[in-house]
Amino acid sequence: MAKLTLEANGRTCEIEVDPLVPLVTVLRDDLGLRGTKVGCGNGECGACTVLMDGQAVCSCLVPAGRANGRRIDTIESLGNSDEMHPLQRNLVERGAFQCGFCTPGVVMSLVALLRRQPEPDDKDIMAALQGNLCRCSGYVKLLKSVRESIRETSHER
Amino acid sequence: MSAEFRVIGQPRPQLEGPAKVTGEAVYTHDLDVPGMLYGAILRSPHPHAHIRSVDLSKALKMPAVEVAVSGQDFPGKKYINAGAIFADRYPMARDRVRFTGEEVAAVAARSIGEAQAALAVIDVKYDQLPVAFDVEAAMAHDAPAIHNKPNLPRNVAQESVADFGGIDEAFEKADHIFEATFEHGIVAPICLETNGVLADFEMSSGQLNLWAPTQAPFFVRKEVAHVLDLPLEAVQVRSVVIGGGFGGKSQSPEPIAIAAMLSMKTGKPVKILLNRQEEFLSGKSDHAKKMRIKSAVAADGTILGRYTNFWVDNGAYTHMGPAYISAVRQRTCNLYRVDAAGFDGKLVHTNKVSGGSYRGMGSPQIIWAIETQIDEIAEKLGKDKLEYRIEIANRPGDRTPMGWEIGTCALAECLMEAGKRIGWAEKKDNMPPNRGIGFASMINPSVGLLYAEGNFACVSIDLLADGRLRVGAQSADCGTSQNTVMGQIVAEELGLDAEQIDVLHMDTEKTPPDLGSAASRVTFVTGNAAIKTATKFRETLKERLAKHWGVAASEIDFDDGIVSHKGDNARRLSLEEVVSLDGPFRVEDRYDIDISRPDPKTGYGHYAATYGFGAQAAEVEIDPVTGHVSVLKVVVVQDIGRVMNPLALDGQMHGGIVQGIGMALREELVFQDGAPVNASLITYKAPRIKDTPEIETVYIETNDPTGPYGAKAGGEHSINPTPAAIANAVAHVTGNRFRRLPIKASDVLEVLNKDKKLALQQWRRPYNLEVATARSLYPAVLFPGLKKLGSTLGRKRKIKPSVEYLQPKDLEEAVCEMAKLDRTTKLMAGGTDLQVGIRQGIYTPDAIVDIAMLKELRGIKVYDDKVVIGAATTISEITECDDLRAIQPMLVDGLTKIATQQIRNVATLAGDLSQEKRCWFFRSGAQCYKAGGVACPCYAVLGDNRHHSIMGAGRCAAPCVADAAPILTALDASVVIVGASGRRTVSMEEFYIWSGETVVKAGEIILEIHVPRRKERTVQVFEKSAGWDGDFADASVAMQLCFDGMSITAARISLGAVAPLPMRAVATEQAILVGDLSDTHIRVAAEKAVRGALPLSGNRYKTNLLVNLTERAIHRCLSKKEVM
Repeated sequence: MAKLTLEANGRTCEIEVDPLVPLVTVLRDDLGLRGTKVGCGNGECGACTVLMDGQAVCSCLVPAGRANGRRIDTIESLGNSDEMHPLQRNLVERGAFQCGFCTPGVVMSLVALLRRQPEPDDKDIMAALQGNLCRCSGYVKLLKSVRESIRETSHER
Repeated sequence: MSAEFRVIGQPRPQLEGPAKVTGEAVYTHDLDVPGMLYGAILRSPHPHAHIRSVDLSKALKMPAVEVAVSGQDFPGKKYINAGAIFADRYPMARDRVRFTGEEVAAVAARSIGEAQAALAVIDVKYDQLPVAFDVEAAMAHDAPAIHNKPNLPRNVAQESVADFGGIDEAFEKADHIFEATFEHGIVAPICLETNGVLADFEMSSGQLNLWAPTQAPFFVRKEVAHVLDLPLEAVQVRSVVIGGGFGGKSQSPEPIAIAAMLSMKTGKPVKILLNRQEEFLSGKSDHAKKMRIKSAVAADGTILGRYTNFWVDNGAYTHMGPAYISAVRQRTCNLYRVDAAGFDGKLVHTNKVSGGSYRGMGSPQIIWAIETQIDEIAEKLGKDKLEYRIEIANRPGDRTPMGWEIGTCALAECLMEAGKRIGWAEKKDNMPPNRGIGFASMINPSVGLLYAEGNFACVSIDLLADGRLRVGAQSADCGTSQNTVMGQIVAEELGLDAEQIDVLHMDTEKTPPDLGSAASRVTFVTGNAAIKTATKFRETLKERLAKHWGVAASEIDFDDGIVSHKGDNARRLSLEEVVSLDGPFRVEDRYDIDISRPDPKTGYGHYAATYGFGAQAAEVEIDPVTGHVSVLKVVVVQDIGRVMNPLALDGQMHGGIVQGIGMALREELVFQDGAPVNASLITYKAPRIKDTPEIETVYIETNDPTGPYGAKAGGEHSINPTPAAIANAVAHVTGNRFRRLPIKASDVLEVLNKDKKLALQQWRRPYNLEVATARSLYPAVLFPGLKKLGSTLGRKRKIKPSVEYLQPKDLEEAVCEMAKLDRTTKLMAGGTDLQVGIRQGIYTPDAIVDIAMLKELRGIKVYDDKVVIGAATTISEITECDDLRAIQPMLVDGLTKIATQQIRNVATLAGDLSQEKRCWFFRSGAQCYKAGGVACPCYAVLGDNRHHSIMGAGRCAAPCVADAAPILTALDASVVIVGASGRRTVSMEEFYIWSGETVVKAGEIILEIHVPRRKERTVQVFEKSAGWDGDFADASVAMQLCFDGMSITAARISLGAVAPLPMRAVATEQAILVGDLSDTHIRVAAEKAVRGALPLSGNRYKTNLLVNLTERAIHRCLSKKEVM
């Protein structure tokens, strides 16, 4: 067991945990942040994507020990169902997802992309989402709503 | 969209959307209740065996373990599944296992880790039995009997034979007869949420509550009550959000009854979640089929008769196999106009995981087979393939040979529209090179009578205390928006805003019975029930108010949410006011499909309330170098009856089409000894975002008189014709009819290159003789012998229960830690391979030294003569380094082809080089040469070796799939290694010993990678071919050429993923240094890349692939040189 300090969604958290336990277990079980999902546990599907120091990572492949002193942002950092992040609202209104199990991971991959690159083209969007497997949507409306979100924010700018 | 409706036809976002997109939605995985135990299931390691004994005592002695059960603890009742006559499976194996992965025992403990540890000490004694993995083997006269089913030939679970309308006569009078055999593999549903359950049995009340992602709470309740011998009323399924279904969560998944039993034994809630591997191993998937289709055709194209002789691979137990038999019968007899039809189908047991349901229930593949033949008929008769389909399309009022009475039908219109939208008339004689267009149609019985219970639905509407309405439907919304649509229907009927209505699904206590979400039935059946219930609600509301106000119900209006007494302005109430005046109330109603049941043996008879039709056009482009098929555009035109919610319907269409692309081109389970070896989401290649085509959806509203507002159905309709349309488009390009799905890039490549014979000159590598001789002895002698020897003498894999984690503060400390000899220590950089490998039992270290954050190992330094990259620099840091892009473009571009953004953000350059073998036998736990030692065989020699080495392989055929390996070799890079005894530098060409094995010794650390600066007039190109963009390569070529005017003065070419080591293509290098750079000479030089290759049985395509990639790389280098 090891004592770790990490900043989860802006909150400093101290926990005692086996440092080889995956970060996603810490987030879900120790910190109660269950918005992050586990689809494979082996870094293959992207459902568990969170941001570590701003970068999209599969939280099932980050050993807890490595999250020590790092900033972690999960889906819970963005908004809630009464007050959604504009990107989230766009995804809902345009039917970008169906079962929703991959969606928090998809959103976090997109947030990482848009923070780094506010006006990505289709190629960039697809590169950012190639690691997020979605079985329901066929990705068609997902891509469309992301484009729409980018267009809206660039208008606002 | 129709103006006659307020809410129907509107694009309504999903009710659960905000909860899902914010992570608030609660799935079964997220449930957590006080005192909950964690269950885990022990699975059979054998495909067929008697269970001699199961000893749970050691597990029960473990302090955290509260209960352990085996098959004998269950009441001895079998699942009913497809009907009592097919019942053949206990909730847990009792005396015999019939597939690898079958449930043999289970435990519940206070943590998941302790539950898994307990599984390891359960002692099961097996006596292995002979096996039959393939249908043909299972039907042989000497095949082992998997079950002893009465009255049918051995291993045949069902036989279905019929002749409707005189099939022999049809063939006698035919002008043309077409006949071909089609086969396909097994596709998996791949719900992102794996199966799981929380079971909570209350000892005091005897009540069992179940939370599980199921498509069919009705059947779960019935099955669980039956196999656990509980009264139906004692079992309730509760509402939860579901992470995808696609058929994969229909029936009653086995973990549910097992968790329930563990909960009943302890009186505590028990949660079981399947991991992804278990989901593949035990989760029921699609069924494989082989179909011989014969068509009798008149000179004018009339189909006089169609006959299908087929088998369906049932797997070990019968779940939905009979429905797959039915799907083939139905398309054989009903797709397009046929005068007579017949079939002979068998459902056959094998020692593999049982088939279950998957979207389309086998229809996409039988449609593919029929539609391939339709194309061939059109070609033979010299007809346009679209016009011919329109000629023979089903029409309204038809009665098919099987007795289907076609009501509304817009198939001909669908085909015309599909042709128009894809631009068939303009394009057909002007296709650009490598492009093709294909068409296909589908017929789907919307909601047939496939259930023993008939086909009914009930819906409830509660007027709640706050004046809102709650619609209750037991069907389960797996993400399809059916809850949203039910809310829309009730809003439409009652003249309310959809926002005033909540929908509760699944709960078997709070909502009335419904057969569940399968077979595209909910919009139609449950939708009709919702209309009836809303009508009843309106009447009840009026009657209640009439009584209250002392007036006749006919004098009461209910519009726009206001109840009023006609012409009386004082008596106007909102629903909220109604509740305060008169209290909450509830109504329920039921809808039954009222048609006769077809003959159970032959399927003859009018079967469904309505029939859905649709047509698709697909345009594809084939890369002639790799055989890779890109689907550019799909037009889907559906006779949908009525569009209820275009947003939701588009979603169903898109999802079905992209799943159909996977089915057509990539997806299938690959088996070894009856168990899938590609049980991961990398090796099972479901489509990703870069595989998505442009999709155009068109709906033709035929307004079916039996449907709600005229609607038919849509859930399975778009997957059904997708593989067929794609296959016909591929045939349009290649001129070849593929008879097996998926049509892999390798299959296409073999066809495209069938006339190009490569001289492999195997004699050039002397060890080839030895390897070839050993391989020839494999089937009869070496493989069985070594397998037997290895099972006793081979090293066993073990998973270390605890591993020490060390985070050294600097390199010196790391070197010290690594030098300690009293333990096995592994380095962790990105950890993306190491952590997975530990879970797979490939790595068994005592300690892990995490070096990812060590400054000495990170960063990119550019010097005059070289670039130095720290070993633990992440792939992203390299690909995002603009300085490096200018200096070493191949390194930067090549590394972007590795994996996914998430992986590249943590994975490191040295980690990519050092990753273990990716051979799927090695990774999936086979006791192979590299895993078990010299006494064990290589499984790739006789197994599915499509990804393995084509040259340089010896006792192990795993290829080196690290993309950085050929790139750095071509760049003449070197690796600096540090250890207790100092530093040493090794050139890339000396770095590897074998796939996943390097010269880095125990205790040593890779410090940095040195890449010489690119010289002037030097160009670099990296070519890679892989299953999906980011997947491990099947072949790659890294090339650096130095030019002087028109001639090449230096060449370094390295080949990846074709041999255990990155191989220099020396002969090609020498060839392009001399002679002209004509296309012919370049081809000749490229062909030298495969000199000395000795491909395995299933990877000959890699020789062509490698030559083609090499050829393209040279051409690309030349064109890059032009712009220099």
